Amino acid sequence: MKQILLITDGCSNVGTSPVLAAAHAFQEGITVNVAGVVDYGTIGELGSLEIAEIAKAGGGVSQVVGTRQLAQTMQMMTRKTVVQTIHQAVNRELKQILGHTALEELPPSQRSQVVQVVDEMTETTSLQVALLIDASASMKPKLSAVEDAIRDLMLSLQAREGISEIAVFHFPGRRSGEDTVLDSDWTRDAGTLRALFQRLQMKGATPTGPAIMRVIDFFRYGTLDEHQPWRGNTDEGEGMLGDYVV
Amino acid sequence: MKEKGCSVTTSSKPAYPAGTVITGKWRKGRFVIRRVLGQGANGIVYLVQKEGSRNPYALKMGYDTLDLQSEINVLMSLQSKRKSSASPRGGTRMSYLLDVDDFKGQQGDIPFYVMRYFPGSSLHHFIRKRGREWIGLTGLRLLEKLNGLHRSGFIFGDLKPENVMVSDVGHVELIDYGGVSSIGRSVKQFTEWYDRGYWNAGSRTSDEGYDLFAFAVLIIQLLNEDDLKTAAVQHLPQTRSPGQLLSLVQRSPKLKPYSEWLRRAIRGEFSNSHEALKLWKETIYTPALVGKLPGKTPRWLINAFALSIMIVCLACLWAFFL
Repeated sequence: MKQILLITDGCSNVGTSPVLAAAHAFQEGITVNVAGVVDYGTIGELGSLEIAEIAKAGGGVSQVVGTRQLAQTMQMMTRKTVVQTIHQAVNRELKQILGHTALEELPPSQRSQVVQVVDEMTETTSLQVALLIDASASMKPKLSAVEDAIRDLMLSLQAREGISEIAVFHFPGRRSGEDTVLDSDWTRDAGTLRALFQRLQMKGATPTGPAIMRVIDFFRYGTLDEHQPWRGNTDEGEGMLGDYVV
Repeated sequence: MKEKGCSVTTSSKPAYPAGTVITGKWRKGRFVIRRVLGQGANGIVYLVQKEGSRNPYALKMGYDTLDLQSEINVLMSLQSKRKSSASPRGGTRMSYLLDVDDFKGQQGDIPFYVMRYFPGSSLHHFIRKRGREWIGLTGLRLLEKLNGLHRSGFIFGDLKPENVMVSDVGHVELIDYGGVSSIGRSVKQFTEWYDRGYWNAGSRTSDEGYDLFAFAVLIIQLLNEDDLKTAAVQHLPQTRSPGQLLSLVQRSPKLKPYSEWLRRAIRGEFSNSHEALKLWKETIYTPALVGKLPGKTPRWLINAFALSIMIVCLACLWAFFL
């Protein structure tokens, strides 16, 4: 099972629409969750609308929280999404076998056995979560809380019976045109997730959409290498899309 | 089907007013709501009366069918194990589940189950009202409950004072089984203070030690909440450690009688909750040996005793040489 967890504090302002990018992720079987982080004031109507839309298009959940609740929220969203994905798969099966459209329509006595299977799969299915962190200037004071929350999430995932892996990205990169940077490749060990964002240079731009597109690539090819021949030589996010919309 | 939307349910949901009649879709049971008892992480619990009877029950309406069914599965499994083992431990032979059904709400079906109603107050309220000397006994009964759960193959997970009910005569009952998970699985639901992972003291995999750790934090909270609060916020998450809890236990005179037990629970040294239960019993039933006697023996008495021994020895030597 594949998930992207986007952590941001505002609107995207460069490149592809993040809602479209999330829809592409969902098409690829990757669920997109969004945690909006605000400590003072609000995230703004536009920002919270975008966050909700990204999650909706990505088949996931979203929530706006302060840094104090971030760890707990990330843990809850990840778990909820795993359950939800399995729930949907089980409902499809039920429809095929019994003609029922959903678990909710089974009598409670039969529901019990189905839920046992869902619980079992929730615990044992293997899981990859790509954390995509908005490192625009306004996020700077929140990054240490983000780092702690990532370690805490890893601790929760390590407790599962199934294999769980985390990769960490931030965006934008240092050079222009570098949409996202890999901070930590797939890992199962919380110990490797130290000092993730130490040498980070904060920038103003927030290319959320292009960054999501790059992470989808990473799920596919295991690399962020920009010089892949199939991509052609367009630098813009819009250009990349041609390859997906077939 | 229920709309899942894109929000995670944490905020409080509007509750049904008193007098609402809840009719089961499948089994047609009818229950009249009297008031809200509480709100858990995955549902609202009401005090209800079965229509046509005086008996009060607790009725839990879930936010999510799957979550609630998972909780019901645990309760059913406990119930069947309790029946087959027929052991008297854990109090009277009670049944958790009286009814499981759906209720037609305005926005679709709402799953619910009906269980026994346990009148009482939360552990921290009880202790605040009745005094700290009740901690030994209520703690013992709580450990017995946990031990019973462990022997059935589950751990409670989200142990905190709000989830422990105490009757006016000190009977203890665990409420909210939403966080219960099978031993060996990941802990489903937890609250930071009581979580072993939060203190960097171990994993979030369900084992008996997980509940015992939470129990230790709970006891520290009941006896010395201020210092616990300070310890929790003082350090950065990566430097937070069980050592801070251990030094708190060592420093605090109020925790002294329980220090040995707490130390072992925090370090994860109990091999199981049976062993922990045994030590707790020894701790609370031998207060004279554990807490009071050594501390109360006056220093001068010890010195005088040592001196008199020396004099006797000298006298013996003297007598011998003469």
